[in-house]
Amino acid sequence: MSAPFAKPVTDKTAEPEVLRSPRVFTPGDTTGAGETVSALTEAAPPETAEQVLARPLSGKRHWLMRLALGAIGILISLSLGLWVDHLIRDLMVTAPWLGWIALAVAAALLIVLGLIGMREARSLGRLRTLDALRVRAEKALATDRPQEGRAVTEMLLKVYAHRPDLARAREQIATDRAQLFDGSEHVRLGERLLMAPLDARARALTAASARRVALVTTVSPRALVDIGFVIYESVRLGSDIARLYGARPGFTGTLRILGAIVQHLAVTGGLVLTDGVMEQLVGQGLAAKLSARLGEGVVNGLMTVRVGIAAMRVVRPLPYSTVKSPMVKDFVTELVKVLDSPRS
Amino acid sequence: MAQPPVSLRDEFGIALSNLADAATGIGTPTIRLGVTGLSRAGKTIFITALVHALLTGARLPGFAPLAEGRLIGARLAEPPDPSIPRFQFEQHLEALTGPEPHWPESTRRISQLRVDLKFQSKKRLRGALGPTLLHLDLVDYPGEWLLDLPLLFLNFAEWSESALKLARLPSRLHIAERFLTALAQANTGAEATEPAAEALAARFTQYLRQAREDEAALSALPPGRFLLPGDLEGSPALTFAPLPPPAGPVKRDSLHAMLERRYEAYKEVVIRPFFRDHFARLDRQVVLVDTIRALNAGPAAVRDLEGALGDILACFRQGENSALGWLFNRRIDKVLFAATKADHIHSSSHDRLEGVMNRLVAGATKRARFAGAETKSVALAAVRATREGMADGHEVIVGTPMPGEQLAGVRYDGKTEVALFPGDLPSAPDRVMDETRPIALNFLKFQPPGRLERLADGSVVLPHIRLDRALDYLIGDKLR
Repeated sequence: MSAPFAKPVTDKTAEPEVLRSPRVFTPGDTTGAGETVSALTEAAPPETAEQVLARPLSGKRHWLMRLALGAIGILISLSLGLWVDHLIRDLMVTAPWLGWIALAVAAALLIVLGLIGMREARSLGRLRTLDALRVRAEKALATDRPQEGRAVTEMLLKVYAHRPDLARAREQIATDRAQLFDGSEHVRLGERLLMAPLDARARALTAASARRVALVTTVSPRALVDIGFVIYESVRLGSDIARLYGARPGFTGTLRILGAIVQHLAVTGGLVLTDGVMEQLVGQGLAAKLSARLGEGVVNGLMTVRVGIAAMRVVRPLPYSTVKSPMVKDFVTELVKVLDSPRS
Repeated sequence: MAQPPVSLRDEFGIALSNLADAATGIGTPTIRLGVTGLSRAGKTIFITALVHALLTGARLPGFAPLAEGRLIGARLAEPPDPSIPRFQFEQHLEALTGPEPHWPESTRRISQLRVDLKFQSKKRLRGALGPTLLHLDLVDYPGEWLLDLPLLFLNFAEWSESALKLARLPSRLHIAERFLTALAQANTGAEATEPAAEALAARFTQYLRQAREDEAALSALPPGRFLLPGDLEGSPALTFAPLPPPAGPVKRDSLHAMLERRYEAYKEVVIRPFFRDHFARLDRQVVLVDTIRALNAGPAAVRDLEGALGDILACFRQGENSALGWLFNRRIDKVLFAATKADHIHSSSHDRLEGVMNRLVAGATKRARFAGAETKSVALAAVRATREGMADGHEVIVGTPMPGEQLAGVRYDGKTEVALFPGDLPSAPDRVMDETRPIALNFLKFQPPGRLERLADGSVVLPHIRLDRALDYLIGDKLR
């Protein structure tokens, strides 16, 4: 048994706080006597699990996996190179002019592939920016720190700098942000002015897509046709919404977004209970009583709505704080309206 | 013994007025916003800036109804009570934005203003009926009068005891000396004569006026009408003074009895109607706390401010509104505590300023929360007189100090612009009350902002700090 003991604990808070005394500077030696504020020098706090979860798009693979993928890629490229090399040699032997054409085509292909690669990299970079923006915005909302908030509006203005439809909103943000002193207010300002119009358009896209899916399902002769159409519409809707929020995804970007949407649907599927009841009621209950095909049509339409909502949640660069996040039940009226008069 | 701030008869009157309001308010609901603050806390400027911002509808990014495009407009409406002067909004705005901007003079009488707000409701039912109209009622009054409210809880003996105790404090003895000698010479048991009462009251008034010059003393100031009598100058209700407890039984016609009657009359005809008419029926309250001035004056002033605020805020009716009780018994369901003049300090210190203010109103916050009201605190400046910058590693504010302001031996003429670092606020709010370890702080008063931005329609934009956030908290939910 050890004896009782008492040890002094070094307590940092016990140290006297150093408070600076008042001073006056002559106007000459102020640097940037405007609205400028010194750069953020604080160390970033450690990432929490939520922040890590909040980045579905630019997920990093394990290094072993990356090594394996890299090796496979190199092997495939080598074999392709060998094949092209053989092809050109063979052609040269047969007829030199054919060989030269093949060489030129191969060079063109290489250049085009390089360009595509650059485009893809850029699109992935945009996705990463949107992700970073969301993480930043969540941090600004939580800490209410002005530096964070300013960084968020700064990034927002940069992301949407070339959008003609948001010119007025950008102008407004640029003038209003000077009046704001709290991080969360900056995020809310950005959400109200930039996100709200985009949200409305994303909703319209989702509703239109859901209508088309419902209609096609109701009238299509074979189940295979509707499955194909649902997948096609979902992919299109996902990339449309991503483009709307400023992601402009390429091929890999679209794949990533779709993956994130599927992941999101899998996670939230069980959570939207109230919405689920609505679906059951409208799809299986009411509409199915009228006709089995109509019921299926509504269910597929609602499925598309969920894809649209998931896409919004995944690519929207700001979290929902002042604007209400969309729900499936908001779209039910739209869907029913169209089933009444199937024109669009 | 503590007395309730309103009598049963008043209570009945308040309930009837509430009912009448509820009946007439079915068409147009009214929000009574209580702007509460001691003298020089910035009530007049807050009201002016708030009304101006609502009227122009500019630069309020954090005010949700405006940011979401639901607020159609605002205009000044006819004041509800024909017997009270109108708040001189135009004159105050002219003072702030005219060719030679200056702060409005301190308020000397009560005044009122009504603003009509027109908005489109988000609610399906109300929104379907078209735009909704809402009255916003504001009242401005001298802050000194607010100090009277705690007197409603005190009888003559209790008040005399506390007032005399304050007058005998060593720090005040030099200003109270003449009053105290007059008091010692007076024979309070003798038959009451008007000149004797008037002489005592005159000495007492003189003492109070001198005490007001002293920045550290707020709680010693009541009765407030002695400082700003308004239309009651020379009336019997204002001719009394605190007296030491009588030695024996008090005769009905003695000076002591007469002063006691007058004190009660003061409560009855001055304080109670003021409270009943303007504070007993509020919906929302903003408490403006001039933390900066108290910090400038030192720990004693901070303590004093804490005590004065605690006493005053105990008088208000805060709490949750019940569904039916609302007809008769309106309560303040949201209270905003605002540390004013936040432009006197760099925005990086705003949360510390808020912390100090929260410490000052901790008791009131707790009471309001317990009663069921929602509270929030914010550091704000209704009119922002400074800009921000960096100088030599210090976060400074840049502005033009008022003429006569001094720092480090330099006296400012009201024209030169300086960059001021007023000193660091402590991270532990309690330290501002610690007299053993004073903090070096020196805030200067600044001139109102010059060179104001103008909108396309010619109206000026007053810069502010978090006025939009305050407004959103206070009335935003009523504009849904």
